[in-house]
Amino acid sequence: MEAHHLLREKRTSEIEAILAKYPPERKRSAIMPLLYLAQEEYGYCSPEAMREVAEILDLDPTEVKSIVGFYTMFFEHPVGKYVIDVCDDLPCALRGADQFVSHCERKLGIRAGQTTPDGKFTLRTVMCIAACDRAPVIQVNRVYHYDMTEEAFDRLVDALANENGTGEAPNEQKQGLDVL
Amino acid sequence: MQNFWEYLTKIPVGLATVFKTLFEKPVTIQYPEEKKPMSPRFRGRHQLKRYEDGLERCIGCALCAAACPADAIYVEAAENTNEERYSPGERYAKVYEINMLRCIFCGYCEDACPTNAIVLEPIEFPTGYTRESLIYTKSMLLEPPPPGVPGTPQQTPPGKYDRAILPFPPIDESV
Amino acid sequence: MAELVNLTIDGISVRVPKGTLVVDAAKSVGIDIPVFCYHPKLKPVGMCRMCLVDIGTPKIDPATRQVVRDEKGQPVIVFGPKLTTACTTPVSEGMVVRTATEQVRAAREDVLEFLLASHPLDCPICDKGGECPLQNLTMAHGPTVSRFDYDLKFHNDKHVPLGDLIFLDRERCIQCGRCVRFQSEIADDPVLQFHDRGRGMEIVTFSDPPFDSYFGGNTTDICPVGALTTADFRFKARPWELKTTPSLCTHCAVGCNLALNTRLETKTGGYEIKRVMPRQNEQVNEIWICDKGRYVHHFTRAEDRLHYPLIRQDGKLVETTWEQALRIAADRLERPSAILVGDRIANEDAFLIAQFAKAIGAALEQRPALPAHYADVARAVGIGSDADFKQLGAGDVILVVNGDVEEEAPVWFLRLRQAVVDRGAKLIVAHHRSTKMHRYAAAIHRYEVGQAAKWAASQRADWLQGARNVLIVFGDEHLDGSSARALAQTLANWLILGGFAGKPNSGLLPLYPHANTQGVFDMLEHATRPANETTDTLWLVGVGADEPAPRANFIIVQDILLTERAKRADLVLPALSFAEREGTFTSGDRRVQRFYRALPPLGEAKPDWWIVQEIARRFELPWRYEAPAQIFAAIAQQVPRYAELSYERISRVEPQWPPMGREDLYYGGTVYDNTGGLGARYAADAERSALSPYDVHVPEPTLAGLERTPRLLYRDGELIRRSAVLRAHIVAEPLTA
Repeated sequence: MEAHHLLREKRTSEIEAILAKYPPERKRSAIMPLLYLAQEEYGYCSPEAMREVAEILDLDPTEVKSIVGFYTMFFEHPVGKYVIDVCDDLPCALRGADQFVSHCERKLGIRAGQTTPDGKFTLRTVMCIAACDRAPVIQVNRVYHYDMTEEAFDRLVDALANENGTGEAPNEQKQGLDVL
Repeated sequence: MQNFWEYLTKIPVGLATVFKTLFEKPVTIQYPEEKKPMSPRFRGRHQLKRYEDGLERCIGCALCAAACPADAIYVEAAENTNEERYSPGERYAKVYEINMLRCIFCGYCEDACPTNAIVLEPIEFPTGYTRESLIYTKSMLLEPPPPGVPGTPQQTPPGKYDRAILPFPPIDESV
Repeated sequence: MAELVNLTIDGISVRVPKGTLVVDAAKSVGIDIPVFCYHPKLKPVGMCRMCLVDIGTPKIDPATRQVVRDEKGQPVIVFGPKLTTACTTPVSEGMVVRTATEQVRAAREDVLEFLLASHPLDCPICDKGGECPLQNLTMAHGPTVSRFDYDLKFHNDKHVPLGDLIFLDRERCIQCGRCVRFQSEIADDPVLQFHDRGRGMEIVTFSDPPFDSYFGGNTTDICPVGALTTADFRFKARPWELKTTPSLCTHCAVGCNLALNTRLETKTGGYEIKRVMPRQNEQVNEIWICDKGRYVHHFTRAEDRLHYPLIRQDGKLVETTWEQALRIAADRLERPSAILVGDRIANEDAFLIAQFAKAIGAALEQRPALPAHYADVARAVGIGSDADFKQLGAGDVILVVNGDVEEEAPVWFLRLRQAVVDRGAKLIVAHHRSTKMHRYAAAIHRYEVGQAAKWAASQRADWLQGARNVLIVFGDEHLDGSSARALAQTLANWLILGGFAGKPNSGLLPLYPHANTQGVFDMLEHATRPANETTDTLWLVGVGADEPAPRANFIIVQDILLTERAKRADLVLPALSFAEREGTFTSGDRRVQRFYRALPPLGEAKPDWWIVQEIARRFELPWRYEAPAQIFAAIAQQVPRYAELSYERISRVEPQWPPMGREDLYYGGTVYDNTGGLGARYAADAERSALSPYDVHVPEPTLAGLERTPRLLYRDGELIRRSAVLRAHIVAEPLTA
């Protein structure tokens, strides 16, 4: 089997910083931060990315794949530059999430779960993301956007479509969440 | 002495019946050369049925063999592929034999069959001069494919025949 | 003795060790609590919810910390508001468990209804149908009808190869995780995991190669549904058609207890082995066997099995009669002869051959020849006759020297690994390369290839002092006879000088090549005489094709297959395989066990002891044995170490804990319970009398030794070549250092 080195070549210091947080005999605990790193570098949790993480942590690749499969924020397939997660769980649905999802689909010209042909947007419906008080709520690349309306969504998408490539969504209501 | 005369007079009476019957049409037939018409619901020899597309209904599950009180049925199964498909689903009967000498035509095999593959049909009872000739193999038991339809094995598209047991096996109620 | 706890289950008082789980406590008094995900050999996870029961504990007064009693003086029992999983709850003093309440009944019904919501209607074609825990428990506890719509069943892939030996049916899987946990906890090949969640959950492998574990077949035994099937048994037979015969595995020194499942077959015109299953023996293999033992059985009905004696006429082998074959063999053996004996034949065969060789003055050697150099040492300082792998744990030292336990004795690997990982024994590994055992080693010693004996001699003799028990596993990789003997003697000296020799769980455990290496050595010991140049007739009994043999004018080959060696012979005598006859093997830890006849004989092939006896009778030896049992009685009389053994003793069975392989398939899986006998170990010399240390001479490594490549599990050989399912796994090139 061919070894994979992309991560180890480009992000050496970050890998070391992550591994330093855990005792050496429990380094498998570093699997999730390393997967976020690999996802950034490889674009998604590709087979190569998962194998490289497994090599770094001396794990069986199957164990890494299991983690990737369980958590929805690890992508096993290529995604767009912006991943838009729309909550359609009960509180959001009561605030019109179903119609809102249909609008998103129309606006982007794709179905939920798909990626736009230009590779810019991926639209997904997700279970509760813990912001029911300001439903309907969406997450764009892990950044929250509250009290969504169809107009607000259109403005957001248009801005992102023309944006400068920082990956940051221009929205006064956004609130960052540092998952690492 | 009186008995003697009584016997004597009875002889022509008996012979009269003999001569009368001599000119009647016989009720027996020369089986197996000659065959009697059977009722459509008569339960004669087994037949292994096919679906309309020619695939065998039998999936080689051997439940008939398990149900058989006479231990007359022997089944060996094998795995279908899309290139060489005998029946829907993954399993088919590679070897299917019924020892007609053992069979008591009770029909338990029909009851046990999950796909209605084995049916006792109004076909004549098997006859033969050797024991070997009365062990019916799969090719002897299988009904011919419907007209214009290929037999088995067939080449089938992937995904079309994934399951062995159809949700509601169509039952032919016409007979 | 562990602390005991009293509790009541369905009105029955139970007394079990502290820490026992409720489900096991119930089992010990014959109360069945249905389970799917729980398995007594695996850690509990409580995933399937099938074992929900009503559990109450005595009410404790918070002020006094005393049990509250009612007016009759009985403790007041407080039941939980909801049901509890019996498989994750350990017993506690005064606990009351109710398994037959209406609430429990309804819970079981509901769990089954959910499990069946998307379970396919596959039972007629499912290999598990007939021995399926899900089927049985549905009959016992399930709903009569489902409220779920048939059309809403999920349709998933039904043919997912996890490797080339195991197939997954995603529809049938109920996500109990037994296979996942077996691979992680027992085999330590975590190549199976869950992926996704909710209804999308599935078993996946992402390893490279995918599911390629030496123990993978066991996952199909413990799978409570037909989700995992082996390439070997897939669609081959229905479980109720199979006849089961107790047997033994012949392929390594462990001596795993097997159950051979046989059935009529048209192609081979009679019975054939349909699958090989483990037979429970907690002293030997628990309920596990390796994949080689499971899949290599196809040689028993190989196309080139020998049916009739063959004699060379005009350069070709032609069929002949036994009468003629035996007469020719006897005539030729009157000349200076040598007999080589393979170590796969039964004790009874080897005993008669040794007696015969002594009587006619023939040379006699064991093949492979290497183990005979150290088998006497291994036997002298072997583990105690009461040794129990389960008792090895904290305080004990397990030393593995120059052996690859997973390759050479896979089930011992499982047992030793558990002693180290689960029970805290200290593992020390000494080897010239890395093995799987290195993962668990507390200390690792390395030496140059072939220098094992030198390394051992360089250690202080008292370096293992302080341990409670010392178990030393050793192999003969890259060693010649004298080096292997020097190694064994050095290891034995550590045990003798350290005071470990003769202790039950201390001793040597040799990694012999085959199932009866020790037994053949024991039988041949006093009749062995090396062959010399004057050999005219050479008689090879079950000798492997790659074993060296002296030159001879006339070669008699006695074998089960038309091997490369048999093709070159002058006379070929057809023998019966282990599956077609009875006999005994002596395992590497000196356990003498019986195997039974599972298949009818092929053609006119005969058991080895019969052939030897018939030839011996032509030398006017007065043997009239009619069954191996009679020969074994003679062994008990004439071989002192076997004096206490008899067929009666080694056929004895005792109830095994945890109880498995019975009607309640859901508890232990489809393994078989032990009806053929647990076997018995004969005593090590060190148990009888104190031993003095060996005088060791360590020779320089030789080329012959270095050429003795590791004995890999799937090494190429005449038997494994006849199993099509294993063909891709055969290692043709031996592993070099």
